[in-house]
Formats: sequence, structure tokens, C-alpha cells
Amino acid sequence: MSATTARPAPAAGPEPHDQKRRSTRPSAARPGRAFGSRPPAWRTALRYLLLVAVFALMVGPFLWQLSTSLKGPGEDIYSYPPRLLPSDATLDNYAGVARIIPVWDYALNSLTVAVASVLTNLVGASLAGYALARLRFKGRGAALTVFIMAMLVPLESIIIAQFTLARALHVNNTLLGVVLPGAVGALNVLLMRNAFSGLPYEVEEAALVDGANVWQRFVRIALPSVKGTLAVVAIFSFMTAWDDFLWPLIVLSDPANFTLTVGLNYLHGTFADNQRLVAAGTIIAVLPLIVMFACLQRYFFRGVGEGAVKG
Amino acid sequence: MRKFRIAALALVGVLAFSACTVGTQNVDTTSAEGEIRGTITFQTWSLRAAYRDYFEKLIDDFEKKYPGTHVKWIDQPAEGYADKISADAAGGTLPDVVNVSPDLAAPLAKAHLALDLDRAAPQYRDEYLPAAWKSSRIPGMKGTYAFPWYLNTGPLFYNKKLFAQAGLDPDDPPRTYDELFRDALTMAKRSKGRIATLASVPTIEDFGRYGVRLMNKSGTAFTFDEPKGVELLRRYKKLYQAGALDRQAFTSTPEQAGRKFMQQSVAMNPGSALDLDKFKKDAPSLYKNIGITDAPNNTGSPNMYVQGLMVNAAGDNKATAVAFAHFVTNAENQMAFAHETTVFPSTKGALDTEYFTRQDGTDKTRVRIASAKSLDTAVNYTPVLLSEDMKTALQNAVTRALRGDESPEKALKRAAEECNRLLRLG
Amino acid sequence: MKTATAAPPGGAPATAPRRVRRHLPTSPWLFLAPGLLAVTAFSLAPFLLTVGNSFTDNRTLVPGGFVGLANFRELLHDEMFWTGLRNSALYVLVTVPLLVLLPLLLAVLVQRHIPGITFFRAAFYTPVVASVVVVGLIWSWLLDDRGLVNGILEALGAGPVGFLSDPWLLLLSAMLLTVWKGLGYYMIVYLAALTNVPRELHEAAAVDGAGAVRRFVTVTVPALRNTMVLVAALSSVSAFKVFSEVYLLAGENGGPAGEDITLVQLVQQVGTGLNGRVGYASALSVVVFVVTLGLMLLVLRANRKEDA
Repeated sequence: MSATTARPAPAAGPEPHDQKRRSTRPSAARPGRAFGSRPPAWRTALRYLLLVAVFALMVGPFLWQLSTSLKGPGEDIYSYPPRLLPSDATLDNYAGVARIIPVWDYALNSLTVAVASVLTNLVGASLAGYALARLRFKGRGAALTVFIMAMLVPLESIIIAQFTLARALHVNNTLLGVVLPGAVGALNVLLMRNAFSGLPYEVEEAALVDGANVWQRFVRIALPSVKGTLAVVAIFSFMTAWDDFLWPLIVLSDPANFTLTVGLNYLHGTFADNQRLVAAGTIIAVLPLIVMFACLQRYFFRGVGEGAVKG
Repeated sequence: MRKFRIAALALVGVLAFSACTVGTQNVDTTSAEGEIRGTITFQTWSLRAAYRDYFEKLIDDFEKKYPGTHVKWIDQPAEGYADKISADAAGGTLPDVVNVSPDLAAPLAKAHLALDLDRAAPQYRDEYLPAAWKSSRIPGMKGTYAFPWYLNTGPLFYNKKLFAQAGLDPDDPPRTYDELFRDALTMAKRSKGRIATLASVPTIEDFGRYGVRLMNKSGTAFTFDEPKGVELLRRYKKLYQAGALDRQAFTSTPEQAGRKFMQQSVAMNPGSALDLDKFKKDAPSLYKNIGITDAPNNTGSPNMYVQGLMVNAAGDNKATAVAFAHFVTNAENQMAFAHETTVFPSTKGALDTEYFTRQDGTDKTRVRIASAKSLDTAVNYTPVLLSEDMKTALQNAVTRALRGDESPEKALKRAAEECNRLLRLG
Repeated sequence: MKTATAAPPGGAPATAPRRVRRHLPTSPWLFLAPGLLAVTAFSLAPFLLTVGNSFTDNRTLVPGGFVGLANFRELLHDEMFWTGLRNSALYVLVTVPLLVLLPLLLAVLVQRHIPGITFFRAAFYTPVVASVVVVGLIWSWLLDDRGLVNGILEALGAGPVGFLSDPWLLLLSAMLLTVWKGLGYYMIVYLAALTNVPRELHEAAAVDGAGAVRRFVTVTVPALRNTMVLVAALSSVSAFKVFSEVYLLAGENGGPAGEDITLVQLVQQVGTGLNGRVGYASALSVVVFVVTLGLMLLVLRANRKEDA
């Protein structure tokens, strides 16, 4: 174990001076306009062609699921070769999901958990990441090792122990209990550390001259420069919290507190397997994530552009 | 799917038990004296979605009958059920009344968490079918550890169109193993290997139905490697080689096997009366050609699945829990549940009532009556001591034998040895 | 957060930031506290219990006793363990190179701000956000003997391919599923890094007459090397710990007769349920942990050698 402590920059890291050399003059330009000139039309066309091909590969399977969720009763969803479009499209299956489970309550629980997890991860990971990247102190290597080790633990194998802890803290069967184990993801800490150590030192030096303290440098200078990574962390932690099934299932026992993934599981009831409802449930679970990503990524890239320091 | 979650969850389960062993040794598993009042929790297994009204009324009735009681109902999703119970048992949060199958009851009973009903509630024994009451007995232990609840058994569905195409009589489905294997080989030959007849490898129930002795009398060793078991595998191997067993059978879940049947690439599949509704909705072209027959057996006894209600021996309110478990499983309430869905009551006499004996011309009723009739002699073949690990060992052996990696004798012998080793571990 | 504000204001400016001490010795620990606390309580402490368990024969509901190294000795004679080790190692060898390279190409493809690109980026991310269970279900349907893929192959005159019945093809299919599901995730990581590549480098290369491919090889790849190492480390760690994809395609036994089982699936198989062998499964988990740690060090060391 001590081998890792000795190593200066594990997982995450570019060596600070290394990075500094490369990015002395970061560009303020939006990534899209990397070159002054417009590319020839055929290349744009080729790009779109590739985009559409990849699109088919990545999204096709979900469209298939969407199509199943829209198929009306009496349509053969198991025919071979498969029928791609519903012949008798209906939204009934979505209403059906809401009839079986209080889908909006569960979605609200999921949302609460996911938003809380985003907040704790943003705060916890950026604080820790900043300390690991920018502050010099005894025990930094050890602290870094702790996060790396945590990332290597096969999480799935420690749930019962986590449950015991949650019970000892009296947070079992609460949404707080759902949030806690993922409150600060080790991977997020490492991502933040990577981002902070990629920042040029000159900027903070200027602030030092102005007499800013650690906290001020962190909030005013460092944080705004890593908006992109913050967005990445936000997306990752939202997604992880939203998709998690095993932990909420273990820690929650009162159906009123169920999150969406646990609740949707009712759709495969012992006696009531209905592929259309399952498909509709899937779409209900996935859609908010896609929408959220679509919204946040816009900010994500603008953030990266704005955040670039003018050299 | 369901299995996935169970496993994923389980995956999980594994560790850190030194921190959370329950003080189960000094729990009294033999008596449930006390007043019937106070609050208890009741956990069902994936029944809320479809039967919420039934259970809410049931609980209401109980609370009215015993003023001062309060029942808190928890329903768990189908997936991950065993692991939810593991976590609760280990963490000391097991509900007072728990819906279990016999193989779930066994480890809980061994951990002194299940109330022994032969000692604590013997007065109710005579209300239930003797076979059902015995279903939660555990070899090597005295006592009965769950109230019998609903029973389930199922017919074998077949696809008449595929039978006709292969030149087989669609109105004369196979009724014995000999006929089943013969028809399956014909089907494979005539369809040039395109249509398999079966989509899953034989499980422990199939060994049981085929007449293989699964365990010795005292329940201390597995014996499925006897010549009869080897014979079953030899015949299945022939099916596999001829293409009469679906190629993906080795890895298929029951859901996947069911899907193949609905896609009409497999000619026969076991199911329950409820599947008829599913076929009608999801695979109407199959529904038009559906045929129904009994699963063959060499023993005269079809297989049945048993659900039970276990009373947590470590609970605070055992008298109330026993009263409630009995209330849910009494003749009247089981009958009402049987009217909600196609399951069968485990109380004496229930299966002789008109509901389970009089035809009304519909397929559903026909299947219900046939199933109820078969329950007279039905047996729960799956040994209660057969754990998931053992099922895996058996399935891997069956696969090796069918694929020809190992002879059926050797594969089964090794599997029985492995199961016995796991059995000795406790 | 509030505690951190208590850090004293900075003193004199320094010339080289790496030598600066702008804070009381406690303040870095205040920054670290929330993260360290969460991670220690909910990951490391439980894992230490696992290590302890690996020396016992504890079962799910039946506490056992200390057995020394017996579990580890049993591992050496367990055929399934070696099969699992082989499969997990193969998983790393196949998926990691693909996951280092393909998402980078994808990131370059969606980097340019052309109309509709927002849509495509979000779309490519879809497999990441969908739960792995759903994805597994869809793919087992697509790869079935009578699924869409085989339907297309048959139309082209090729016989049905047993993606889900041949042990090797099954493992390969699971690997491709992992790659498919991971593409969007690493694409994001690369996209964030790409915005840091100074455009001057590209412009200079373009002036020198370098084409797109050459610029990719001579400018983009070197500039992103640190990110590529990060991706290699992350993806090898998760590839070695793979469970879901193999489980969903190859079934609960891990393929025909367990031929496709991975180490973590083996942990699940032996350690779970009411009869789970917690002690033995813990020993397996410890092995998984040690090997993952080794893998990570290997990736980082390879990187350092190149540096030198």
C-alpha cells in the first residue's frame, strides 16, 4: 500500500509543471471554432454521415424500446422478424405505469436523492480535490491513497456492512440513508483533483499578490475555472444516484420512500409481467437523465469556454 | 431480469458479517404466547401492484377482528427478495410475518429466526392440506417453519401450428417422457433443426418428475446421480445433438425461454394459467394456436410450488404475528385470494369447491380445474435444502454432459459430490 | 464549508507556488474532511471488515470462526476461480484498448460546433444513462439466434451466429456491450480535455500542411496523453471488476457450465443469498482488490516509463 503513497501523481494526474508548459496560452475560443476557416462542404457532409451512423448504433436499441412502449394491446411484440413501428400507437402504457405505482412520488424521491447527491459531491469532491491538487501539507499522499483505495473497493461486496452502519446511524428507511454512501464519490474527487492541477499557477499567484487566502482563492479563482469538470461531476453523480437500485432497495423498507428504480421494479410483478409497461417504465426512468444531460452539457461547454483564463 | 437483480443484489451481500451477527442463539422459537394486540409488520413478495385492494381489505378485517392491533404492510419487489431478507435477518430488521418459499425458510429456521409452528401453533395444523403443512419441514430439524399459503402448479403449453407443420398431430400432444422425446426429435428433423421443442435444460424438478431419487431418506445426501438421473441426461443429450433443445438453453432464464416460445421458435414451454392472458396481449398470433397439456411425469405426481408465511421468532409481538399469519392463510381468505388470481388454496377442502371443479367453457377455467385436480397428488420436488449454489453446480454439470464435455455419469457424480460438500457446510 | 472560511488570510506573495504555505496546517484537512469521512465510513471501513472476513468461514446467517488462510488455499484448487481470473483478465485486454481509442475518436467527431451537435452529443450519451439491466435486456434480444442481428446476417446469406450460445462469442459479445455502454462516458472525459488543447498547436500543424489524420496523431493524441492514461486506468479497473454485462448476456451461471464467469460474478455466486459463504467470497473480493490495485499501478508505471 505504501507504494502508492510514494507515487506523486496516481490515477488522475498530469504533473503540474507538465501541464503548465502545455497550456501557457489557453484559448478563449469556443471549441467549435477551432480554426479560422470553414471546412469544405464534403467534409461537413462526411461528419454528419458518421454522426448519423453512430447515432443509429448508440440510440437504435432505445428507439426500439420506445416503440415497444407505444404499441397498443393486441399487437404482437414478439413477432419475428421484429416490427419496428407500432401499428396502433398509444400512450396507455404510460398511464398504466402510473396506475400501478405512484410514479410521480417515486420520481420526486429519486429527484431529491439525486439533487442531494449532486450537491454533496460538488462540495465534497471540489474541496478535497482542491486540497489534493493545490495545497502542500504532510499526509497529502496518504489522503490521496485513501481515495484511490476507495475507488478500487468492489462496492457491490460491502453493501451489508453499509446497511449495518446506516442502521447504527438511524438513517435506514430514510432518503438521507440513500444519499450517504455515495455522498462523495472517490472518482469525483480524483476528477476534481485532475482538473485543479491542470490550472496554470500564474492565476493563483496573482491572487496571492492581492492577499487572497486559501478559501478566497478556491472560491473566486479555482472553482470558476473548472466549471466543465464540475458539470461532469454533477452529471455523473446525478446519474449514479438516479440509476442506483441495490442500495435503495436494501436501505428502504417503507414503500412511501421508494425511489423510481425500486418502484419501477413492481412492473415485473410476480404475476404481472407486461413488456409494454416495462418498456414504458424504462423510458420514464431514462428520459429525465437524457434531458438533464442535454441541458447541462450546453452549460458545460459554455462554462469551459468562459472559464478559460485569458493569458 | 428478475434473477439479475437478485444476483446483483446478492453480490453485494456478501461481506462484513462479523459486524452484524444477530444474537439468534437465545431466541425462543417454540412459543408465541401473549396478548393479540400491538403493531406488527407483514412482508409480501411482489403482490402489491396487482392485489393492493385485496390486501388492504384483508388487513382492515384483521384489525377490526382484533381491536388494538395494527398491521404495517410492506411489499418487496420480485427481484432481490432473498437478499433483502438476508440483509434484514443479519441486521435484525426482519418483519414479523414474512412471505417465504420453503427454500428461503430453511436457512432462516437454521438461524433460529423462524417460529416452529408445530410447537407454537399446533392447533392450526389440521386446517391445511397435510402435504402443504409438511412443505416447510426441514430435513435434520424438527418442526414446521411456515404457514402454508398459496400453491401453484402449471400446465405445459405447446404451439399447435408448429406441431402441425412438423406432421405431428396438434390435438395429441405428448403425455409421457417417451412421447415428448420422440415428438421433439421428429420436430427437429422435419424442421431441419430450425424449431426446437424445449428451451430449457432439465432442472431439479425435471429430475424429480422423471422419477429420479433426489436425496436419501434422511435428507443427508443427494442421490440424483443414480442411474435414472444419468438416463435422463443421456436422452436430453440426444435432443441437444439433434437440435431439439434450443441452443441457448444453457444460459436462458425462464423469461428468455418464454420469449422464444412467444416468438414461436420453440414449440413447448411450461407456464401457468396466467400466461394465457399474456399470450393474448403480447403474442396474439401464438394465442390462436395455443395448446395445453400436462407436464409429463413418471411418478404420478406433478410438481407444485408452495408459498408460505413465516413468523419471525425474534419478533416482539409473536402472538399477534401468529394470529395474523393464520388469518391470511385461513380457508376463507385463501379462497378469496384464489378468486383474485390463478393460485390455489392450501387449506383442506378448498379444492373440492365448485370454483375448482365446474367448467364454464373458457380456457382459463379449463386450465384452472385441470391444475386444481393435479394438485391432489402434487409434490414440491425441489428439496428445501437445495441452495442456489447447489442449483448452479447441478446446472453446470447438466450443461457439461449435454455439450459432451463430460460423460453424464461423471458430470452428475461430480455435481452430487459438490452438493453434498456444500450440504455438510451447513 | 463554513469551517474553511476560518483559514487565515494569505501573507506575503511567493515566487514558486509549489513552495507556498498560505494556511495553517489544519486547513487542508478541513477541505478534505467531508470527502475523507464519507469515503472512509462507507467504503474503506466496510472493506476492512471484508478483509477480516476472508480469514473466517462465516456464512450469511451463521457466524463461523477463524480459519487462517484456508479460504485462499481453497481458491488455488477451485477451477472456477481460474476460469474467472482468465475471463476477467481477457476482459481487460480486449476492452481497455478499445475504450481508450474509440471514445477519443468519438469526441473529435462531436467536438466541432456544427448545427445539431448538441443533440448528437446527448444521444451518444444515452447508453451510459440507461440502467445496465435495460441495456442487457435489449442486447440479449438483438443478439438472439432469432434476433435482429442474426436476421440481418441471414438476409446476407450467413447462417445464424450463436452469439449467446458459444462461450467465446458470449464473452466477446459482453465485451462489446461494455465498450458500447462506456463510449459516451469516456467521450465526455475526452471532450472536457479536448477544450484544453490550445488551438494554436492545431493551427501551426495545419500551416505545416498536416491533414486531419496527421493532426490527430501529432497534436491531439500527445496533448491528451494524460487523459488517455486516466481513461486506461479507469477502464481497466472497471473491466477487471466486470459483472453486469456478462451476467446479463451469459446468465446467472456465467455462460454454459460457467465458462464465461468473471471473478466478481463468482464472488456473487458463492457469497450471496441466505446460504452465502461470506468468508470464501471475502477472500475472492480481496484477490479482486489486490489485482485491480496491481493493474492500476501497472498502467501508471507504463506511463512513467514513457515519460522518462
